[in-house]
Amino acid sequence: MIKKLFKNIFLQEAYFWLTCPALLWEICFLYLPVLVLALYSILDYSSGSTAIHLTFEHYQKIFNSLYFKIILNSCVLAIVTATICLFIAYPVAYFLAFKVNKRFRIFLLFLIIIPSWTSLIVQIYAWFFLLEKNGLVSQLLSTLGLFSDSHHLLNNYFSIIVGMVSCFLPFMIFPIYAILERMDKQLLEVSADLGASRYETFKRVVFPLSLPGVYAGVLLVFIPALGEFAIPTLLGGSKRVFWGSIIVDKFLRSRDWRSGAALAIIGILFPALIGLLIYLFNKSINYFKRDKIKIDKTKKAKDNWDFTESNI
Amino acid sequence: MRHIRVENVNKSFDGEIIVDSLNLEIPAGQFFVLLGPSGCGKTTLLRLLAGLDSVDAGRIFLGNEDITYLPINKRRINTVFQQYALFPHLTVFENVAYSLRLKKLSQTVIKEKTHEALKTVRLAGQEFKFPRSLSGGQQQRVALARAIVNEPDVLLLDEPLAALDLKLKEEMMVELIELQDKLKTTFIYVTHDQQEALTVADQIAIMNDKGQIEQMGTPKQIYEFPVSTFVANFVGNNNIIEGALHVHDGNFFVEVEGLGCVSVYISEKFRLIPGCRLFMSIRPEKIFISKKDKQGFSSRLEGKAIEIIYYGHSTNYLVKLKSGKLLRVFEQNEEHFPQEIIDYDDLVYLYFQKENIVLLEH
Repeated sequence: MIKKLFKNIFLQEAYFWLTCPALLWEICFLYLPVLVLALYSILDYSSGSTAIHLTFEHYQKIFNSLYFKIILNSCVLAIVTATICLFIAYPVAYFLAFKVNKRFRIFLLFLIIIPSWTSLIVQIYAWFFLLEKNGLVSQLLSTLGLFSDSHHLLNNYFSIIVGMVSCFLPFMIFPIYAILERMDKQLLEVSADLGASRYETFKRVVFPLSLPGVYAGVLLVFIPALGEFAIPTLLGGSKRVFWGSIIVDKFLRSRDWRSGAALAIIGILFPALIGLLIYLFNKSINYFKRDKIKIDKTKKAKDNWDFTESNI
Repeated sequence: MRHIRVENVNKSFDGEIIVDSLNLEIPAGQFFVLLGPSGCGKTTLLRLLAGLDSVDAGRIFLGNEDITYLPINKRRINTVFQQYALFPHLTVFENVAYSLRLKKLSQTVIKEKTHEALKTVRLAGQEFKFPRSLSGGQQQRVALARAIVNEPDVLLLDEPLAALDLKLKEEMMVELIELQDKLKTTFIYVTHDQQEALTVADQIAIMNDKGQIEQMGTPKQIYEFPVSTFVANFVGNNNIIEGALHVHDGNFFVEVEGLGCVSVYISEKFRLIPGCRLFMSIRPEKIFISKKDKQGFSSRLEGKAIEIIYYGHSTNYLVKLKSGKLLRVFEQNEEHFPQEIIDYDDLVYLYFQKENIVLLEH
């Protein structure tokens, strides 16, 4: 009996026990700190006493002030980064998945991964050296006579974007590559067989089928880009302030932990909200499609050919 | 409706010759089957016709038009693939309407033609389903509708029934025959299944290694009058006996070692030299098996039944002749109570007519 109980709990539930270390780690070092952060952002001492009360003033401060503009700036930066990444990554992923033979493909994928193995700070400083006044890029451009005042290559929006894109590019390439690589190549043959040009095949088959990879890539780039502070701070100079950098500022410089916590919590909720919206959007599309099938079934009895245009 | 002519076509992959100077003429408006063992180059030929691969040398004509270098999307040839390859992100309707949308036809025309095609393959009412929610047979029909909606001159089918179970396969075969009858489009159907080929074909081309056409003809010609041992063995069951030809008093005999002489019939068109070695091919169902002495047959062989398989409608015997040669015999179970019961190791006589023996060159 006891043996059986032991068996049930410790062996059949083995998968549960196996997940325990990871779960504990997550709880202790992720969820609990986030909870503390959340509590910090909504609780404060009443003035002149040690009693704690609930307050949303730190959130109000954010939405009423300059912070809101900074958050907006960060969003714009994240959107620009994700968009540029998408436009660079898609052709690369397409090329890797369709045009390169297997052995060479592994080599190229390796080349793409290598920078991600390097520390972010090293990556940033590499760009620093490339873009600085006497750096390689500036010198090259001025030798070609394309650029005279080499001073402007660093500490501006351009250098931030360059750093952000180079850092996040692999996160866009890989999901898109993975989905293109798995795609049934015969679909391309069918499409051509049915009269489609290469462009039409891309538009009607390859791209629609790769959308899950594009969504994944955009989220993988957009969300970390939203809170990125090292790249904008180091490559953008001190004038440009972004979401990530004000959180760091609040905690480490001005010691205003409660405002910092509020900013961080919004930073967590905001991408979650975007994820939720995408999820609901997809679900509503599916619901819409299912609805049409139902309509179709009711019409089938009458053998009615009149139907609404199907959605692609 | 135009015929296809393939002239001296060569194709190799990675230095390995797949199709070697192939010549073939496929008549218009027929159900044409390319039958051959795996790796004989039949699928490669289909891909060359479709334009999925390009020829190394030679020409392909559709009617009088040279389509050798015409890009795939400009050819009036459509293909039904073995794995269906339906677009998973499109509904049944959109899958079928795909080629029409590319042509930028008006909405009304697209709707009309798509429904017509779906009705033809008996899929009306499934327009808004997605391919993944359909059964294998239904997916096959969608692939068919998608290929015929554009009214191609030629429809290529690459082992379209290979993924279906037997019952469904038989149903689909009949439907394909009816469809071809209705559309009058040239169907080129590739398969390695000889039963499928005999069932659906108007004309069959038997392909051997490297795209060599061994024989072309109606299913009956192929089955009854094979021209080579390859065809005789590949299509249906067969017994091949080797021997030497002799003439005696204007009658022809084949002398088989250890068995004696078997009289054979030689039609005018065969010019065989007496004394030459040749093969006799005789179908298992054309041999009569009995333990008794029978009259009225041109030949009789003696042997022992060593294997008896009861199939219900027929019984399959394997008979070991005196020379050690094994012959297969199919006997229809015509009567409820068979007049004689043949058991293992029984001594039996095999009777056959000389007209049923097909002579094949060595």
